[in-house]
Amino acid sequence: MSLYLTGSFSDKETAAQAIKQLKASGYGPDELAVFSDEPVEFKRGVLDRRSHMSFVVVSGAVAFFLMVVGFVYYTQHDYPLVTGGMPIFSFWPTGVVFYEITMLGAVLTTTGWFIWESGLLRRDKSVPVPSIKPEVICLRVRCTAEQFGAATDLLEKAGAQNVAKLEKAA
Amino acid sequence: MLPPTIPFQQVRGDLWRPLAGFSKRYSLILALLSAVALWGLIAWGYQIRVGIGVAGIRRPVFWGFYLVDFVFWIGISHAGTLISAILRLTDADWRKPVTRAAEAITTFALMIGGLFPLIHLGRVWLFYWLFPYPNSRLLWPNFRSPLMWDVTAISTYLTGSLIFLYLPMIPDVAQLAEHAKGWRLRLYKLMALGWTGSDREWHALERAMKLMAGIILAVAVSVHSVVAWDFAMAIAPMWHSTIFAPYFVVGAIFSGLAGLIVALNIIRKTMHLEAYLTPHHFGNLAKLLLLMSLLWLYFTFAEHLTVWYGNEPKEMNVFGARVRGRFSPEFWGMVIVNFVIPFILLGIRKLRSITTATIASVGILIGMWLERYLIIIPTLSLPRLAAASGRYSPSWVEISITVATFAAMAALYMVFSKLFPIVSVWEFEPHEEEQE
Amino acid sequence: MSEQKHSWGMAIDLDRCTGCQACVAACHSENNLSVSDAESAAKGRAVHWIRVDRYYEGEFPDVRVKYRPVLCQQCDEAPCEPVCPVYATYHNDEGLNVQVYNRCVGTRYCGNNCPYSVRFFNWFDPVWAEPLPLQHNPDVSIREGGVMEKCTFCIQRINRAKDEARTDGRALKDGDVQTACVQSCPAEAMVFGDLNDPESRVSQMAKSGRATQLLGELGTKPKVFYLERAK
Repeated sequence: MSLYLTGSFSDKETAAQAIKQLKASGYGPDELAVFSDEPVEFKRGVLDRRSHMSFVVVSGAVAFFLMVVGFVYYTQHDYPLVTGGMPIFSFWPTGVVFYEITMLGAVLTTTGWFIWESGLLRRDKSVPVPSIKPEVICLRVRCTAEQFGAATDLLEKAGAQNVAKLEKAA
Repeated sequence: MLPPTIPFQQVRGDLWRPLAGFSKRYSLILALLSAVALWGLIAWGYQIRVGIGVAGIRRPVFWGFYLVDFVFWIGISHAGTLISAILRLTDADWRKPVTRAAEAITTFALMIGGLFPLIHLGRVWLFYWLFPYPNSRLLWPNFRSPLMWDVTAISTYLTGSLIFLYLPMIPDVAQLAEHAKGWRLRLYKLMALGWTGSDREWHALERAMKLMAGIILAVAVSVHSVVAWDFAMAIAPMWHSTIFAPYFVVGAIFSGLAGLIVALNIIRKTMHLEAYLTPHHFGNLAKLLLLMSLLWLYFTFAEHLTVWYGNEPKEMNVFGARVRGRFSPEFWGMVIVNFVIPFILLGIRKLRSITTATIASVGILIGMWLERYLIIIPTLSLPRLAAASGRYSPSWVEISITVATFAAMAALYMVFSKLFPIVSVWEFEPHEEEQE
Repeated sequence: MSEQKHSWGMAIDLDRCTGCQACVAACHSENNLSVSDAESAAKGRAVHWIRVDRYYEGEFPDVRVKYRPVLCQQCDEAPCEPVCPVYATYHNDEGLNVQVYNRCVGTRYCGNNCPYSVRFFNWFDPVWAEPLPLQHNPDVSIREGGVMEKCTFCIQRINRAKDEARTDGRALKDGDVQTACVQSCPAEAMVFGDLNDPESRVSQMAKSGRATQLLGELGTKPKVFYLERAK
């Protein structure tokens, strides 16, 4: 059964130290989470999260490009347009439309992937979340009942304040 | 020099205070602006009912105030792009208090500007024919037309801007939700998407914002190029010029920046945010504005020199009307407010201040509106076959709608600043280590 | 019998044109053009699918007036066609630039792009004072407000002539189709016909040494040939 433990830090160096020690004790990135009211930038290697966002966005843009070219090509041939000598499908005059829809694809993909990668909207509601206080970095550790004591000691030694078990908010 | 570290409670208090309550002054001004905007709507309704002939447009000036307003408002929308996107990409920290205000201008200006392609249509009730939807009448829009490019470009830009405005609001809205009650609580909770402030969420947000900044910049450049190509793709004298696309993009950033400075000064005064929107910010914006003014002058000069030297008769006809003839008051007025006054007020260090930057910006807004007028009306008034020349004068309908858009912009902005902190709280909080 | 495709064209002999504007009046009555009052005409709202432009040369007393009837040139490379977002104007296979009134949403881009300024817009629903509605041509639709219009080379007359020829089982002869303006010119300065038929009068006139094209340097490939004596 998982328990959640939190400790507060006032600066990111101390928090980074604590995280390093926890990782040395065998905790993985999935069991650690840092909560703050503004982004905290740790040095590389402290708490890295893999992101596929750039790749996904580029793929999304390419997909939309292929989609819109196919759409325009297919529909312009399918509908019996009287173009009066103009070619049925011409790439360059319609190029702007292709570009814009490609960028729209990039925008929508970024938004969608952000929502996915951040974990918003699919957060497990049973997992407790500490309330964010300004100028405080809150570290949450997921551990088993057996590890609880050792984890608490580790955090306190690392300089955390208010080390306590986190109960789910009512 | 960054502002001195302000304790976070004061930051919260200062930036959240405008959201609470309605002062008499606020209500009165909002009511007035709404009335003017409503009058514009009535004028538009009248135009739809009676016929577009109630506007002043006529042959050969088939496009008048509505197109001027369209280009103007889409131009204003580049405020957010410049500040948010470009400065975000260059990691310019001084932009932080200013980004949300700029992004809000972008979104609202786009909404307003996007109305004008509808307003100027002869049969607006059939506007949906410009969209590619399956139908049994074997009809399809013509994607070759620059107006269709407009449709896709503005739709994309509006979608992108809305998202670009919304994403960095999520952390602020989550914080607001903890202290709100009633309908506001429901609104903020909905918008917060369950934001908890975890590092995973922050990283995803920062990555998304960096990507969005690059994307929105690419889109913004294309949008105003497309608007420029509405004119440049036509073979009308002095329209068919390759300089139009970059000229319009530069002009858009120029006018957008001016609009931003005016908006920020108003925000600063009315919401008592002097500690957050400091002379340092205005100094930087003023320098940028001066730079854009010089860039605008360069493009204007290059365009006019080329036309004048080439001496092509039909183009010289339009050129003469602009520079010496019946449009010369507007032309030289434009040069004065777009270049001479900003150069003096912003170029001379002693004269550069928040007040003078605002004065210069108001002048630039007028000047850029005049620039759009001078691009559209003289060329259409003096077509290739002289016998078809004409004179354009706007009617009360066009003037009403034009004024109403300014009122609508201000009203939308006022409502926005009551619902959400106009300075981004999470981006603002200064730290010891940020002070160099 | 196979019919070769037509390519309708017109030749106007400027050395014959007296500027009487009978063509303008004829076009009005044939095509149900709206009538403007003095106020809207002064505002530039008058509609004349064919108009006679007057150019004055010289100083008094050696003033010369030149008349040029200007109508839609039915350009083969029409600048008005690619810019319409709804395909309301396109080139048909007989070389005509066709305006589809029902499809037009009134963006007026085509009007801006026409270098000849031959496109006209219906700013309101047209109203005719009595008894003018009794004079309307039933073969031509009335355009509502918000729609672009221009000279069609009297496409209704072309279609009627083709129908009659088909009924009679014969090919169209040169002179079977006469647009209203051509029919009414008292100086016989205007000729209409098939440019694809090398024997037609219009083809002969187009090959004349006096044939010029208006704004031909723009590459619009207009189908109206103006014959004027070179100086």
